[in-house]
Amino acid sequence: MMRSISAEWLKMRRSKMTLILAALPVVSVLIGSANYYLNQEALQNDWLSLWTQVSLFYGEFFLPILIAICCAYACRLEHMNQNWKMIMAAPISAAHLYLAKLLITGMMILFAQAMFLGLYWLAGTLLFLPSPFPVKTAGWVMRGWAASLSIIALQLELSLRFRSFAVPIGINLCAVFIGLGMYINKLGLFFPFSLLTIGMSVLSQDKLAAMENLLFWLMSIAFVVIFASISICRLKNNDIVQA
Amino acid sequence: MSGSIMIQTDNLTKKFGAAASVDRVALQVREGEIYGFLGPNGAGKTTTLKMLLGLIKPTEGTIRIFGKRLEEHRAYILQRTGSLIESPSYYGHLTGLENMRIMQRLKNAPDRNIDEALHIVRLEQHKHKKVDQYSLGMKQRLGIAMALLSFPKLLILDEPTNGLDPAGIGEIRELIKSLPARYGMTVMLSSHLLSEIEQIADSAGIIHKGRLLFQGSLESLWQKSKTTIQLKTEDNDAAERLLLMKGYKPIQKGHRLQFEHLSDAETAEINRLLVSHHIPVTRIEERKKSLEEMFLALTGKGGSL
Repeated sequence: MMRSISAEWLKMRRSKMTLILAALPVVSVLIGSANYYLNQEALQNDWLSLWTQVSLFYGEFFLPILIAICCAYACRLEHMNQNWKMIMAAPISAAHLYLAKLLITGMMILFAQAMFLGLYWLAGTLLFLPSPFPVKTAGWVMRGWAASLSIIALQLELSLRFRSFAVPIGINLCAVFIGLGMYINKLGLFFPFSLLTIGMSVLSQDKLAAMENLLFWLMSIAFVVIFASISICRLKNNDIVQA
Repeated sequence: MSGSIMIQTDNLTKKFGAAASVDRVALQVREGEIYGFLGPNGAGKTTTLKMLLGLIKPTEGTIRIFGKRLEEHRAYILQRTGSLIESPSYYGHLTGLENMRIMQRLKNAPDRNIDEALHIVRLEQHKHKKVDQYSLGMKQRLGIAMALLSFPKLLILDEPTNGLDPAGIGEIRELIKSLPARYGMTVMLSSHLLSEIEQIADSAGIIHKGRLLFQGSLESLWQKSKTTIQLKTEDNDAAERLLLMKGYKPIQKGHRLQFEHLSDAETAEINRLLVSHHIPVTRIEERKKSLEEMFLALTGKGGSL
């Protein structure tokens, strides 16, 4: 397993992914902070109000897109130059290969989450927000990351299935809006994209009820297990006939 | 050269839809030999090789490599097998060395193998260059280096000289020929070129439309080639009439008379007969069927391969 992870890590080198990983949180925080700055009369709850603004852009739009791009990139590496046949003829199992991709993509998103949290703190500090930094936002970022893993598993499955880079990202954009609909209709826990909205406390900063919290974690695990199983089966059983 | 069986397939079949791309193929590759897998494009060579690597699942039949069934011992077999299938695979945004490192991690091969394999294919000078900037020939060499990386017991190469210039073809051919003696490897390589197989292989399998038409040593393939005697005289018509009368069966071929299965004594007798009947003999030639002709006879396919 370590061999697969190490190989995946090497593949990510020299890619422009780091730039994109850093850029999207920056853009989200910039837009969110500007919004906060221009509407300070309406947004009275300093740090938490700033959170509603920055996390709205990040958690609802930019993070899901970032996940889609990372997953598409991780699979594009293999779709190109017939690399599947090289990688699948190596003595590693399909499960290890998949889990290595899941883990590396997960780490990339964790980096983006850390960037986002740091930028949120920086924005709040630069805006001279009077109250102390709310530590619970770090918890929201981590919970958001857990929900991100569900989306990663879903997007990896799409990117494994479609050779095209754009198709999984297009589906991702549609899913973002479906997620909003699910959330509004109180079905947020049953769809990865709205799970992220709940996890990151984007639209509501209220503490989750015990049952909701339990369900959140169960659904996050379930989505990862389901999508990972589908993908591993696909890798194991499908013929590599690409030309 | 006749070691134990390294690759054995039984009834190996792959169907895409209703059509069988590979049809009940029974391969036998012996340890330490170079096995040439010969067939025209689209004959089922790549599909067969991909099945040996587990990249394509057979519709029917079994595969045994190193005496173990591929289905159950995939990792064991692949750990000891190097391969290059179709065009080379590579990560273009990385250097040659980084590509080798990825393969080294996946194969769990020692670090020093990287330089050795790059040295063998003469790519050390270019190892810090991005593979996107490599020429087709260099990419092919990198592919071969990656296949050699763990110095595997078994090497499966699909058209390994594709994309190489004539000098490169010669060099890679010599390299492949040296592998069994130098590293104790068994090599199975496919080609649509008879000349290539003829120059490299100890044994050959000929596949056409998914069926294995011949399998055996190159010598036994040569023995199948029938010798013919061709004769040129100053009056072929008169010579033919005379020889037909004497019970021989000459066939007029161009400006020559051709005989199948002629012993030395018969050849001498024909020559004596013609001279004694004042028909001067200008040429007596022995002609072997070329491998090419045999191949065409086996596959029933005219034109180019």
